Amino acid sequence: MEKDLIERSNYSSEIPVYQIPGGVHPTEHKTQSNSQAIAKLPLADELVINLKGQAGNRTLPVVAIGDKVLKGQVIAESDGVFSSFYHAPSSGLIKAIEQRPIAHPSGLTDLCVVLETDGADKWCELTPAGDPSSLSRQEILSRIFESGIVGLGGASFPSHIKLQRQQGIDSLILNAAECEPYITCDDRLLQEHSEQVLLGAKIVASLYSNNSEPGSELGIIIGIEDNKPKAIDALIQARDKLKFQNIKLAVVPTKYPSGGEKQLIQLVTGKQVPQGGLPADLGIVMHNVATCFAIYEAFYLGKPLIDRLVTLTGEVCLNKGNYRIPIGTPIEHLRKASQVESECTAIMGGPMMGFEILDKQAGIVKASNCIIFKSAQTLTQAAELPCIRCGACMDACPASLLPQQLYWHAKADEFEKTEDYNLFDCIECGACAYVCPSNIPLVQYYRYAKSNIRDQKIEKAKSDKARERHEARLERIERVKREKAEKHKKAAEARRKAAEAAGQTDAKKAAVAAALARVNKKKAQASQETDDNTTNQATDNHSKDESS
Amino acid sequence: MNILSSPFDKKPNSVIELMLWVIGATLPGLLVLVYFFGIGVIVNVIIASITALACEALILKLRNRPVLPILFDGSALLTAWLIGLALPPLLPWWMTVVGTAFAIIFAKHVYGGLGNNLFNPAMVAYVLLLISFPVQMTAWLPPVELAQNPVGVADTFAYIFTGANLSGQDLNYARLGVDGFTMATPLDHVKTELSQGFRIAEINQNPMLAGFSGVGWFWVNLAFLVGGLVLMIRKVIGWQLPAGALLGIFLTSFLFYGIDTDHYLSPLFHTFAGATMLGAFFIATDPVTASTTPKGRWIFGFGIGAITIIIRTFGGYPDAIAFAVLIMNMAVPMIDYYTRPKVYGHNKINSANKSEAKHAE
Ligand code: SF4
Ligand code: SF4
Repeated sequence: MEKDLIERSNYSSEIPVYQIPGGVHPTEHKTQSNSQAIAKLPLADELVINLKGQAGNRTLPVVAIGDKVLKGQVIAESDGVFSSFYHAPSSGLIKAIEQRPIAHPSGLTDLCVVLETDGADKWCELTPAGDPSSLSRQEILSRIFESGIVGLGGASFPSHIKLQRQQGIDSLILNAAECEPYITCDDRLLQEHSEQVLLGAKIVASLYSNNSEPGSELGIIIGIEDNKPKAIDALIQARDKLKFQNIKLAVVPTKYPSGGEKQLIQLVTGKQVPQGGLPADLGIVMHNVATCFAIYEAFYLGKPLIDRLVTLTGEVCLNKGNYRIPIGTPIEHLRKASQVESECTAIMGGPMMGFEILDKQAGIVKASNCIIFKSAQTLTQAAELPCIRCGACMDACPASLLPQQLYWHAKADEFEKTEDYNLFDCIECGACAYVCPSNIPLVQYYRYAKSNIRDQKIEKAKSDKARERHEARLERIERVKREKAEKHKKAAEARRKAAEAAGQTDAKKAAVAAALARVNKKKAQASQETDDNTTNQATDNHSKDESS
Repeated sequence: MNILSSPFDKKPNSVIELMLWVIGATLPGLLVLVYFFGIGVIVNVIIASITALACEALILKLRNRPVLPILFDGSALLTAWLIGLALPPLLPWWMTVVGTAFAIIFAKHVYGGLGNNLFNPAMVAYVLLLISFPVQMTAWLPPVELAQNPVGVADTFAYIFTGANLSGQDLNYARLGVDGFTMATPLDHVKTELSQGFRIAEINQNPMLAGFSGVGWFWVNLAFLVGGLVLMIRKVIGWQLPAGALLGIFLTSFLFYGIDTDHYLSPLFHTFAGATMLGAFFIATDPVTASTTPKGRWIFGFGIGAITIIIRTFGGYPDAIAFAVLIMNMAVPMIDYYTRPKVYGHNKINSANKSEAKHAE
């Protein structure tokens, strides 16, 4: 096994950092790729842009097959609720809008825009935003929205949504921890573009400044692992150059998963995001440094998010390094460019949380920070042995869960128990499976349990709805019946009274009564008829309801 | 097709490796035992190992499980090893076989095999033998330097396999001390003498009780302590459990000793007597049957320590680690349930935050 001799920064943290429980120290494998300058690869002939490549809903295409597009031109728009924009990553022809394999753990297909590049790589007209400090909050948010910016750290949550909440935010944390082994794109980005990253962060911060205390600036904290000494130096230089004195560096010890959103917050502030809550509940927004860089480009250069830094690495990759790669570039293209034989396995993301790409024709998405090429043989999973309850998994869990109990119940399909043991607080970091001496693929069991529970919940919601509807229907029928009976009763009453009246001995009275009774009877009959009509109407309405 | 799933990296460790580390760490203790009590211990370990592996293979076969990978996960071997270390050095061979077979077949596989057993198999074997054959199970040899008739290698085998030495003398011959009396273990000796009305100070006159905790036993415990510390440092075992056990032993005996130094042994004596260190570091830490939460490990360990002292002091048996371990095994599900660690984002400050946040909205 190769040995990484990673330099540790001796730069001490500028703010006190706290501890997180658990965590592991997998081999870092970073030196392979973090020493090369960011480079470009030849453009792929075909870009496959997945319209659901971000968290949330599918983006709606606004181009048609056969359209010619320029680089940077909008090709898909947000559904207006919870999605983002897509722009042409290069110039060329829209060849297809169809189901294609996508870069997703499921290995399924989804709607993609297929762009045949023309090689000219010609930009559309770009309009930089001018001085960002003169923009209003709404202007800033819309530009972020329309530039298709999503979180580039992994979850690809549309940024404009994350930034919406304005109240009570008092710090911005930049996530530069990059704790997964192999990945170095953020490291490299900071080494080369710290200034731009900080300028981008400033724009984000300006969304909140003057907020709590007028005139005060929002504090920015950069959380970074101590295995990136060069990036730390670059950040300090950039900060000094830009005179951004309210930026503080929190240098955290290298430990996986310190870059998880919740974990980094705990490391930097000592606080825990409440269960079911958001960092904003603690007054924190967190953004990845790559996202800040994209925001910088969107404002200062007018460039939408059409490419990203991707680490290409892995034992069988011959061109290890970081590359600026257009969104939609097929993995297959990257494999060829890395001179990897076709029998390899490609993993998207890091080795701890990434997933295997089943079809290499899939294009990269905005969240693809790393592709690891491995020879298929090195990836065979060792035989799963029984759990010996050694507790190693528990010691490794950053969420302080009891992974072996979760596993136990998940395996037995006791999903309620897994929820008891807080399954949904599991961040699927894989630390537990990494240390398990019995080679149990613990995270797989958790995913299995989670998806089962989700399905059950959906099912339950559905059947609840159906039941409610059914009950409402019964209730309506019942009511109609009740009303009908009520009216019949009234009519009968009237008749009875009339009859009684008719039975009286006094002749005069009797005559009058008889006349009255007749009138009453007629009235009653008339009213009964209308009753029946209303009933009919009610049933009509009711059947209409049912069909709608 | 078998889709691979994250994580794709794996810490290079395995069950067999862990088990071998534990076995390796018993070696210093094993050697000291041999030094003081002869090679009978090694013979025990070998008999137990062969029995354990044979039973494990047989059962796996019967249960239609893959034999080889599980046979060589090392767990059966470790059980056998611990049984061998705990038994008196000249125990008749068939008792070792019966005990070990019972441990593997009943204490382990009837519960579902590795990982599913509630009780520590080695201690089940020990207790079974102790209850069935109390005389043989308490028939320890005197340490070599105090023995009137030290047992040679050939005689060791003769005793174990025939019950008598080559000249036909029975076990009591081997157990004679220099003073002409049959020797017992220090713990056993103290117990007998106390019951006859002697005070600790008088009992301590016996040459057998020289040193902290009796000739030989102090060193045996020290050697197991060293091995145990290695395991701790290598993180093969957690530190909470042994720490809890030693604390339990020390504090509980300190309590009695503080009340009456004439009739209770000192904490130091207890800590280095009998099977204390073997129990605290190697037996109680059996992962399968111990508590698994950080706090639970403390409680589990402490309970074993405290119960051990109580039985040693008031019970009918001289040593009590085995009983203590089994009693605490029963409590594990409950301990684990009530000592679940606080999950990220579930603490009180946060829930306060949450309600505030709700207010604000
Ligand atoms: S690490 Fe593996 S063997 Fe150990 S308790 Fe956890 S699941 Fe069981
Ligand atoms: S995957 Fe879940 S259970 Fe396992 S260590 Fe991470 S958070 Fe804990």
